[in-house]
Amino acid sequence: MTAADDAEAEANVAAVRSFIARHRRRSWVDWYVAGFALLIAGIYGSDFLATPLSRLGRPASHAAATHAAATQAVAGAGLVIGVGVGLLLLAQALGPLALSPADASWLLLTPLDRRVVLRRAALTVALLATAAGALLGVLGLAMAGPYLRLAASGLPGSWLFLSAVAGAGCCLAAAAAAGLAQPWARPRAVIRAVGLAVAVVAVGGAVAGERLSAVTRAVTAVFGGLSTPVFETAALAALALAAVAWLLLWRRLSVFPAGVLRADSARSGRALLAAQFLNFSLLFWIAEDNHWRGRLLRSKPWPKLPPALALAWADWRRLGRRPWPLAILAVASVIPALLGIAVTGRIRPDLIAAALVLGALAVGAQGTVAAKRDQDDAALRRLLGVDAGRALVARAVLPTLLSGCWLALSLAVLSAAGTLSGWLWPLLGLIAGPGVAAGVLRLARTARINPADRGPDTPMGNTPPWLISRALSVIVALIGAAPLVVALLRGEAPATIVIDQCAASVIVLWVYLAIARSLSR
Amino acid sequence: MAYGSVVVLEDIDLTVTAGEIVALTGVNGVGKSTLLSCLAGFRRPAEGAVSVLGGPPRDNAEFWRSVAIVADQPTWYPGLTARELLELVRMTHQPLRGWCLPADELVEIFGLSARADASPLSLSSGQRQRLSLAAALARPSRLLLLDEPEQSLDAGFRQELATLLSEQYAASGGTVVMATHDHDFAVTAGARVVPLAEGRITGDTEAAGETEDRVAADDGITGPVA
Repeated sequence: MTAADDAEAEANVAAVRSFIARHRRRSWVDWYVAGFALLIAGIYGSDFLATPLSRLGRPASHAAATHAAATQAVAGAGLVIGVGVGLLLLAQALGPLALSPADASWLLLTPLDRRVVLRRAALTVALLATAAGALLGVLGLAMAGPYLRLAASGLPGSWLFLSAVAGAGCCLAAAAAAGLAQPWARPRAVIRAVGLAVAVVAVGGAVAGERLSAVTRAVTAVFGGLSTPVFETAALAALALAAVAWLLLWRRLSVFPAGVLRADSARSGRALLAAQFLNFSLLFWIAEDNHWRGRLLRSKPWPKLPPALALAWADWRRLGRRPWPLAILAVASVIPALLGIAVTGRIRPDLIAAALVLGALAVGAQGTVAAKRDQDDAALRRLLGVDAGRALVARAVLPTLLSGCWLALSLAVLSAAGTLSGWLWPLLGLIAGPGVAAGVLRLARTARINPADRGPDTPMGNTPPWLISRALSVIVALIGAAPLVVALLRGEAPATIVIDQCAASVIVLWVYLAIARSLSR
Repeated sequence: MAYGSVVVLEDIDLTVTAGEIVALTGVNGVGKSTLLSCLAGFRRPAEGAVSVLGGPPRDNAEFWRSVAIVADQPTWYPGLTARELLELVRMTHQPLRGWCLPADELVEIFGLSARADASPLSLSSGQRQRLSLAAALARPSRLLLLDEPEQSLDAGFRQELATLLSEQYAASGGTVVMATHDHDFAVTAGARVVPLAEGRITGDTEAAGETEDRVAADDGITGPVA
């Protein structure tokens, strides 16, 4: 292409983008809401990160001397690696470029210059990757910093920069690999498996480090071995990786395959919309759909069960066919154990409680995909000939088990790591399952979102009904697990709290099922 | 043509000449949409070759200037009205050389006058399908790929669409390849009906007698897709 062609292509795309922007009809309220949300996120985020980042400016000798600091370093590094691997896998799953689904529908299959159309999306990916990489790099440095034998002049500026570039490089490489290596399904699967293994080892080591000082010593000794030349070499290698990935991505923009982009953008758009509307079940459905497309399933006879249970069996079979997500979620059960230590260097009961309830909700939602699909569909119910109430009771079994088992596992890890004292915690978690499952079921059975519905006006803008409804579901789960949450905040689990939790779980689930049953008639 | 280990199409040998309307028919899952996605270049056959407009599907500006596709439901721009969307499509294909219809006329023909200034998000599924089809005719093209265009359309408008395709689009030299379940729609459009069964072409019927008059030999779609 000549320079004149380039200029003309840019002008065409600019005119189209300006046309779209001119007609978007954004009011000042939209900007106000976005600004308010960013401000709140900034305040909470800076508060959350203030303690770990304060380690950057602390004298090395003081920080390294305390056992708590060493434990925090190991837990924090494990979490940073785990989150980094998670981001890489997310980048692979969402697709190579952050092209909006509407752009993919209307600008891609046109004579417009594809490089110019995709340039904004590519820059967005680069910016997001750099931001994520910067955050992870700085956090990693904050955790390992006191033990690193780095030249004093190099800290913190240049190391922060290089850490950011390293993180960005990895994210970009993952994004580029997803786009450039479409036919290479096997290498991508291998990368995924290796990434997961690294995350498991890092997070597992971090949990062990809280209990076993030998592990802490070994890990901090590794940090101590990272001298300036080693660190420089690693950072420069990451920089080179980032540059190569970015160059490959940039060069391929003009010939990026439209079919891949359309499919990925549509899927990512649906997934982001589902995440925005807190629609966990739809997220899992998208992941399932993506996994099974192009794979052969072998039919197996349906087990001989009563009609209501037979209907609920769909979710059991789906999970049985693909247990990987459950295994990943089981590994993720250690996150609450690490969170408090990594962030503040001490146990934060409020963080642990929030992580446990949200985690239990997400895990329980794995078992409500069919409930989401069939929600209040009277025609389908008549077709199946199953009583709505009984079907709902049958469908409550799986989320109850999933949430309960996950809570029990997480609390067992917290006990093993010494974060919680006493051995009643896993039992308490298991018993809290039905209480959380009421919220999970409510979340799954929330009516479809109608963007035209308006709710009450608040200082944060208009609060749509779907948001209120979903918040209510979380509140239901919180009420269902209230005794557990109270016990976590107090840091003790006496035998009486088990009875309280038992009563709360039974009452909340029973009341929810009774209300849902009466509304379904 | 295969999805993973699932073979969808085998031994496909199909040639379509310019100005022809071809209707791929067959039961669900037989491979009609897959064949269309091969023609659009979204999928490559495991064996054999696909030639569209004189060469393999190229996925470049020249190709997409000549080929229009209406397949999955598109994602709409929030804030753009139906009329503005049609104008946008025309803008993305400037300069407009060849047969196409202006936005206002399309709004009229596709029965969207009352909703032309509404967001596509607020339209019914049938109206959205009309808008998708109108968008494909808002810009010039030599080949139109339609995946079940009759979906969500009322019977009356199906007939109007079939007439529009045969009497205006194909008559001006455009080629249409569509997957459809509506035999009457195909017949009204004067389409050559190509039934598929178990991933193979099982017949090749001239549904109406008009197509012979519009055959051009220069460019077209040739198989096989295997």
